[in-house]
Amino acid sequence: MLLKLAWRNIWRNKKRSLITILSVLIAVFLALLMRSMQLGMYKHMIDNVVGSYTGYIQIHGKGYWDERSIDNAISNDKDFTAKIKNTKGVSAILPRLENFGLLSVGELTKAVSINGIVVEEEQKIQDLQGKLIAGSLFKNSGDMVIGKGIASYFKVGVNDTIVFMGQGYHGMLASGKFKVAGIVDLKNPTLNKLTVLMSLQAAQDLFSATGMVTSLVIDKNDNARLHKVQKEIQKKLDTSTYEVLNWEQMMPELQQTILADNVGGMLMIAILYMILIFGIFGTVLMMTQERQYEFGVLVAIGMKKKQLQLLVFIETIILSLTGVGLGVILAYPIMLWKHYYPFQFPGDQAKMMENYGFSAIDPFYIQADLPLAHALLIFSIALVVSLYPIYIIKKIKPIAAMRS
Amino acid sequence: MMKVIQTQELYKIYNQGQENEVRAVNKVSLEISKGEFTAIVGPSGSGKTTLLNIIGGLDAPTSGKVIIDQTPIEELKENDLINFRLHSIGFVFQSYNLIPVLNARENVGFIMLLQGMAEDEINKRVTDLLKSVGLENQMEKRPTQMSGGQQQRVAVARALASKPKFILADEPTANLDSKSTGDLLDIMEHLNKTEGTTFVFSTHDQRVIDRAHRIITLEDGKIIDDVKVN
Ligand SMILES: Nc1ncnc2c1ncn2[C@@H]1O[C@H](COP(=O)(O)OP(=O)(O)OP(=O)(O)O)[C@@H](O)[C@H]1O
Ligand SMILES: [Mg+2]
Repeated sequence: MLLKLAWRNIWRNKKRSLITILSVLIAVFLALLMRSMQLGMYKHMIDNVVGSYTGYIQIHGKGYWDERSIDNAISNDKDFTAKIKNTKGVSAILPRLENFGLLSVGELTKAVSINGIVVEEEQKIQDLQGKLIAGSLFKNSGDMVIGKGIASYFKVGVNDTIVFMGQGYHGMLASGKFKVAGIVDLKNPTLNKLTVLMSLQAAQDLFSATGMVTSLVIDKNDNARLHKVQKEIQKKLDTSTYEVLNWEQMMPELQQTILADNVGGMLMIAILYMILIFGIFGTVLMMTQERQYEFGVLVAIGMKKKQLQLLVFIETIILSLTGVGLGVILAYPIMLWKHYYPFQFPGDQAKMMENYGFSAIDPFYIQADLPLAHALLIFSIALVVSLYPIYIIKKIKPIAAMRS
Repeated sequence: MMKVIQTQELYKIYNQGQENEVRAVNKVSLEISKGEFTAIVGPSGSGKTTLLNIIGGLDAPTSGKVIIDQTPIEELKENDLINFRLHSIGFVFQSYNLIPVLNARENVGFIMLLQGMAEDEINKRVTDLLKSVGLENQMEKRPTQMSGGQQQRVAVARALASKPKFILADEPTANLDSKSTGDLLDIMEHLNKTEGTTFVFSTHDQRVIDRAHRIITLEDGKIIDDVKVN
């Protein structure tokens, strides 16, 4: 009965209802697009850099991350990795041996980063095969795969020979001739200019670091919480010899950028919602004033104040949920569209972003938690706003109301 | 005869103790029995509305008692008082005050819904009530689609819906033309005769006064005359 009455009351003052619905709709629409754009950007950044290269968490010898010295390498012991693999939320462990050195072809030399990897493990977080633009992944210990920036610098192609020179574990000399087995595009100019991949075994041989790795990259399940997984791993290790870092610690600039940007975004949302609160409150105020007389009559003839309050509450909720629903329905296709056909950032901005290590696009965030969160927020706003008529009804005196 | 309404030394004093003190109701003691058809009359400002509001539990007296069918209503808490009005008193207002978004049927049924009556019982009773006020052909109309006289008849049906102990009507005919006034009084009188419904109404209108069975005259908040006519 209250529902029917609420429904008809909404239709009675179409203009006011429309204003309420529209203001909610516009707020939700704008908020969703703004947040979807921002969160999408962050997710893109994180997935790009973290999810497919750095990994969410890494285990190193203590101090490795600051120094990046192969001398901090740790032993890639089976029992040790098995123990970590057992941690809840951990989905994969990728051993890597990373070191720096010089490549040369004829007169040209270039400083690069050598990454000894296990392809089958690596494949769990990045599609190396898919990143190949020429040749194949390494088959023999004399093979290396180079970033396309290196290939163009040396003007080399598949099957050409490159010489490596550098220092191995504990100052051992490391040098060798390698055949270019393949060229990869890592979708990141910096990485393309720096990255050389070879099998872990080959790298261990080259650097005289048998059985050693510089990092164990941990991939986590999508829904596992980063900090929780990190803590669990830390518990299992001797933290005086190992360090367990999450991506926020490994790339503080990235995290800072996201945090700073996010504060700005939240502020915008806060302002938007403030405007909305006043918008809804204005119409609710008008409604309450206009209907004082009617409220008075209803209480006079025997409607309990609780029922009347519930009625007004239902009306507010219907209006705001309609606004939220329509806002989501309108915003979501745009979000989907911009997710699958993302914005391409222009010139300078694009360069800057690529230097950070991710492609200059912004695929919008489309996971359901975003519209859900905003629906919930609007719902609570409606809840708070309808406290006003609820309060007025509580205080109402029928004859006073009916005199107005 | 059973007393439905009883007031004892009722006062309603506005701005008490000040220069502009008004004794809107000034020591009113009266008794109204079941089945009476009573008009409260008197010049403008004599306290008719104030008295009816107090009897109806819409306004609190400055002092004195109102006893409705053995219940002293000043002892009721707000919620209980609302509930008491719902079950014991039928209201008819000068400006009809139907719920604008509900049609005639729903307006009458609304009270019974509030009382928690079952749906099919309500439907049956609504039809009977609207028939008894001569609106069997207007049941689906909303207030805005009806004349003032028709709306006021719906209001009477609504007031009857809760099976109240009596019906209070403050100037029910003030907004009606003489034909509608006559029709409404016919209906009220008929209900009074056949169902024994107790009516207490205030009025200025001599034609309405002439139809009353008992006339209580107020002046400056005091009862100056109380006569029964047959
Ligand atoms: N809220 C109030 N504050 C002060 N004085 C009031 C208030 N309500 C009513 N009065 C005064 O009480 C007196 C009685 O008013 P009431 O409305 O009961 O008269 P009435 O007989 O119904 O008049 P009418 O025929 O014009 O409807 C009047 O003098 C009025 O001015
Ligand atoms: Mg009056």
